[in-house]
Amino acid sequence: MPVLLCVGLSHKQVPIAVREQLAVSAEDLPGRLARLRGLAGVREAMLLSTCNRLEVFAVADARTCADDLLRDLGPLAAEHALTRYEDEALLHLFRVTASLDSMVVGEAQIQGQVKEAHARALEAGACGAALSRALAAALSAAKRVRTETAIARGAVSISSVAVQMAHKVLGDLSGRAVLLIGAGEMAQLAARELHAGGASELLVANRSAAVAEALAQEVGGIAVGIAELPALLERADVVLCSTAAHQPIVTRELVGRAIKARRYRALFLIDLALPRNVEPAANQLENVYVYDLDDLEGVAAQNRELRQQEVQRAEAIVLEEITAYARAKQERAAVRVLAHLRAQAQALADAEVERTLSLLGPLNERQQKSVRSMATAIVNKLLHGPTARLRGEQGGPLSDAAAELFGLQDAPDVSGDDAERRSSPEEQPQDASRKPQADVLSLTGRK
Amino acid sequence: MATLLVHIALLAYAAAAAAYLVWLVRPRQALVSAGRTLLFAGLLLHLGSFAAAVSLSQGEGLARAGFGSDAWRGGQLFSLLAAATVAGYLALDLRYRLPVAGAFVAPVTVAVMVPAHLVHGGTRPIAPELTHSLALAVHVFSAAAGTAALALAFALSLLYLVSERQLKSKQPGRLFARLPSLELIERVGWHLSVWGFVFLSVAIATGSLVSHESSGSAFPIAPKQGFAVLAWALLAGLIQARLVAGWRGRRVALLVVAGFLLLVGTYAGLLAAPQHVSAAAAALIAPGRG
Repeated sequence: MPVLLCVGLSHKQVPIAVREQLAVSAEDLPGRLARLRGLAGVREAMLLSTCNRLEVFAVADARTCADDLLRDLGPLAAEHALTRYEDEALLHLFRVTASLDSMVVGEAQIQGQVKEAHARALEAGACGAALSRALAAALSAAKRVRTETAIARGAVSISSVAVQMAHKVLGDLSGRAVLLIGAGEMAQLAARELHAGGASELLVANRSAAVAEALAQEVGGIAVGIAELPALLERADVVLCSTAAHQPIVTRELVGRAIKARRYRALFLIDLALPRNVEPAANQLENVYVYDLDDLEGVAAQNRELRQQEVQRAEAIVLEEITAYARAKQERAAVRVLAHLRAQAQALADAEVERTLSLLGPLNERQQKSVRSMATAIVNKLLHGPTARLRGEQGGPLSDAAAELFGLQDAPDVSGDDAERRSSPEEQPQDASRKPQADVLSLTGRK
Repeated sequence: MATLLVHIALLAYAAAAAAYLVWLVRPRQALVSAGRTLLFAGLLLHLGSFAAAVSLSQGEGLARAGFGSDAWRGGQLFSLLAAATVAGYLALDLRYRLPVAGAFVAPVTVAVMVPAHLVHGGTRPIAPELTHSLALAVHVFSAAAGTAALALAFALSLLYLVSERQLKSKQPGRLFARLPSLELIERVGWHLSVWGFVFLSVAIATGSLVSHESSGSAFPIAPKQGFAVLAWALLAGLIQARLVAGWRGRRVALLVVAGFLLLVGTYAGLLAAPQHVSAAAAALIAPGRG
């Protein structure tokens, strides 16, 4: 029986200093996949290389193939890597895809990375039906986790919390103006995110006109003079501050005047500077919202806590999906045994009918048809009970017993799952490329 | 028939309320879809009950007010208001997708409908002069539409106050993710307030006509009229402040809440009027008194 293996390491085992040495680039990936596929006993393989993990998922003939996979990762990786077998490997695949094993639990990027790794493995001819089905089930579970729990809700980084809060106050950012004061990196990042989020105007103010110009070019904004601050506060809907000033440059009085001039249109001030650039008392003004670093970190921490509270529900969904996947796999096995059994019995009956007909001498067409019908009826009646029991059991020990009892293990696969049974590239049929394609469709079709 | 339909509608509203409330705890899109569908189904049944009341009732029913009805019940009035509010919410939801408002509207609809249909109130006569009064029909329609618009504006104002408080305190709660942006709540609430004001103005003007037709006095002094005029004046002031001084946000939300509570006082005044009176006095407590 083929087994699912997982060999690799993640942020949980090694620090970034090690991971960055092991990362596999896009250029090297086809070669690495070909090498994995060439290992003896390895039927299918996929390599997942992200900034947080380097893991190989493989379908192999035996558990011992894990040693070869481990060696292939290299000595540095082998020193820290973990090996998971069968159920444990399957659970890990589902948990990784559902972002339950991520550094930031609930982050969405991992699902795209898993899909990308699968696509590359298919392109390289390293991935077949068995791994594709497991991945499709894992992605389906991940989708359920995302939609049925709050695990992915709420931003968890300072810049994304700032953007989330801006959306909460102002809604759609299209047509809005963002004012960036200072040249702090986090503020630049948030400004870029706001601009990408639809803000139509990005104004960049700095004490130095040259710095403002350079920064405006870098972030795709318009340089403005800091002296125009009162007018800029009337114009901008989001203000990002990150200057090195020792005194607040955006005072309550200044904001109070601006908000009246704005006819009380909401103003969102994000203060990413230390010491703070915006007078905290400005938050008391109506329709003015001031968030400093501590406030943003507080929201991020709260979101992280909410995500953690959802982990238990997400784990339950993953287990449900794994159970459903295992049941579907057993059903496929039962159908295969049934098909073999019926084909074998019918072949025997047909052979006996032909022998009997030749012994009986000349019979008319109606008589021959009756003899053939009788043989088919005997086969059907004999197999009715076992068929019903195998179907009822949906795979499992009974189908294995039936396969052994009737000598079906070596029968050719008639269920369309032959890709699972192939063990070397030479055994790949001419249209092998079509099989993975079908699995790609089934994978993406369940999204 | 009408009673059966309205009871099934009530069950649909109750199921919708349950779906929306569960959604607040378990944010699954399927619950929102179920709530929306149930509310829509409930509304169709509810409107069907009005149609059945019009076709089957010979001389009673708010659905026939101004078109030959000679009596009505308090329950029918609340039923009409509930249907108008649900219709208004579904229209809003179609445009803006506001399930969190559904979590307010659906339970309130049930709370209004249950006493209206399970507790039997006394029949109130309509003055003979008003049984075929077009002004009464317009008055009832505009009062229902205005109340529905202001009820929704009230719901959004409460949402605004909760959301604004969370943003100001920098302590977003568990429901924060389900709340729409302040800007959207404020904008939709403002539009609803304006529509509420327009319908309320029409209701007061036609009510005055109705009152004149039935009692000879266009501006009778009574709690119902007093609350209605106060609500109208407050909304007029709110619109003026918004257009002239640019008022927005918290203070506007508080004014809308106050305006709606005054409107509730209007209905309390209507229902608190004596039920068994002479034909002449009946004209003074009829819904068309404005």
